[in-house]
Amino acid sequence: MSERFANYLIIGNSAAGVAAAERIRELDADGSVLVVSREPHAAYGRPLISYLVEGKTSLDRLDLKEKGFYESRGIETLLGAQFEVVSLDAEAHEAFLSCGEKVRYGKCLLATGSVPFVPPIEGISGRDNVFTFLSLDDALAAQAAVDEARVCAHAAGRACRVLVIGGGLIGLKAAEAFCHHADDVVVLELAERILPAVLDNEAAALLARMLDHHGISCRPGVSISELRGEGPCATTALLTTGEELDCDVVVAAVGVRPNSALAVQAGAEQGRGLVCGPDLQTSLPDVYAAGDVVQVTDVLDGSQRPLALWPNAVRQGKIAGSFMAGARDAEPFEGGFAVNAVDFFDVSLLTSGIINPSEDAGCEVRTDIEGNAYAKFVTKDGLLVGYILLSRPENAGIYTALIERRVPLVALDAGLFDRAPLNLDFSAEARWERLHALCPFGRDGKEEA
Amino acid sequence: MKRIYAIEAWCIDCKRCEVACKTFHSASRDTVKALTLEFPEPRNRVRVEGDAHRSIAVNCRHCADPKCVEGCISGAMTKDPVTGVVTSDPRKCVGCRTCVALCPFGCVRVEEAAGKEIAYKCDLCGDDLGQPGDSSCVKACPNRALVFVESEECS
Repeated sequence: MSERFANYLIIGNSAAGVAAAERIRELDADGSVLVVSREPHAAYGRPLISYLVEGKTSLDRLDLKEKGFYESRGIETLLGAQFEVVSLDAEAHEAFLSCGEKVRYGKCLLATGSVPFVPPIEGISGRDNVFTFLSLDDALAAQAAVDEARVCAHAAGRACRVLVIGGGLIGLKAAEAFCHHADDVVVLELAERILPAVLDNEAAALLARMLDHHGISCRPGVSISELRGEGPCATTALLTTGEELDCDVVVAAVGVRPNSALAVQAGAEQGRGLVCGPDLQTSLPDVYAAGDVVQVTDVLDGSQRPLALWPNAVRQGKIAGSFMAGARDAEPFEGGFAVNAVDFFDVSLLTSGIINPSEDAGCEVRTDIEGNAYAKFVTKDGLLVGYILLSRPENAGIYTALIERRVPLVALDAGLFDRAPLNLDFSAEARWERLHALCPFGRDGKEEA
Repeated sequence: MKRIYAIEAWCIDCKRCEVACKTFHSASRDTVKALTLEFPEPRNRVRVEGDAHRSIAVNCRHCADPKCVEGCISGAMTKDPVTGVVTSDPRKCVGCRTCVALCPFGCVRVEEAAGKEIAYKCDLCGDDLGQPGDSSCVKACPNRALVFVESEECS
């Protein structure tokens, strides 16, 4: 059995893993850095898979980093199924790859992301035409299947239908992507509205109507009780309403869960994700975690859950990398909150924070509808704690900053929510502070000491 | 790195910075053509907020630790490690607006360019991505309400 050693072993080659490797190299020029992943590709923009299927980007534009990223930084990689880490011995500082190789390490980062949750529906397993939609290979396989199914369906004189189970962000992006390949896309969502986690009923209804114009019909409150079909393909879905719906390809996108099995088998403490300290070290010595696998404290409501979002993964990767490399001034990870940006056709949707506060949460809510644009703002104790901006994206980051920095709204212009927010909505002094970071002179024109 | 700073007290809301920005980022680099004829329409990246009573020209801060770069799902938005200039690669951008949701200053917009929507922001008028140039807005400002000065980069 061959064996190798790395000062830093990074398991996972996506947002968090790559950010950590990059940060470690910035801080430690000499330590060996090894990135291993079961995916055979250089790091790519994972959320771009729907844009790829849709034709809005191409395989040659998918790479997250510039050409030569790994080589120029002396970051070694082992990419492919044979390099999947199958077990970890934290005490001995050893990881074992599926090809049988052993990697001894100094410090290890678990940046293994999420795995799709496949719903326990009768007749779903073992089907050739049921796909998940989380990796590049998933997307390419599903696209090939839809294209083939369309040809067959048209040859038989009928329409080709893709059935998407789950009306969350992944399901709806898959629906948007495949409506360019199939004649008909139906999205089934168990909850009472699409995007249950990031929209309210009103915005969900608006969005569903817009999606309908593009041939995507959303069916909230409906799920599948059984997938039927002779042979390897599911051809009919029996819905919870009792209806039967023919389908050519099924995409299962009901949700994701932390890909933490490796860590848990190695003895790491898990809550709703891996439990980590502010240095992002797990309960195992010298084993750190970053990205979707980590249980994060939501700074807005105190809840603890994974924050499976790209910017969070990059931020955690940088922080974990800093601590792993022993940076003295590393900024601790104190939690986060959700910021989602997604677009469907010509509709933009930005959401953040608390969207649907419970009645006893002491929040105030204001909404604004103008044509197809919808805005919702949730405030609590004079602070902004959440928003929905459907087709009203301008300057949204100013709102996000108000949430993050807990800026008292009383100090701001009252028109802040009636239109796009402005820097002018802040007091002159606050505005100077905001816009003049690192400025060599002060507000009085004098040079800063 | 050198950054652009606005001096609010001297801004007279003339918007010449916007015009100069649009002209520089046009195909013809001719103001009249840029503002009337060109398609795709050139986009200005500096924006004057306010009115004749009170105004300020706002553009990208080229942050030391930019949230737009951290959040970019496509790797289009990058900060050059040497120059510190933050730019978005139009070839890679898919227009998802994560940068718009994260920029604390409202300095990134996603607008249509020849068939697809992509992010637009201040590139300091450089000829190449990540390279600073001779900032057009600063040169066009008649009242020195915009300055282009050396500022500290903290990492």
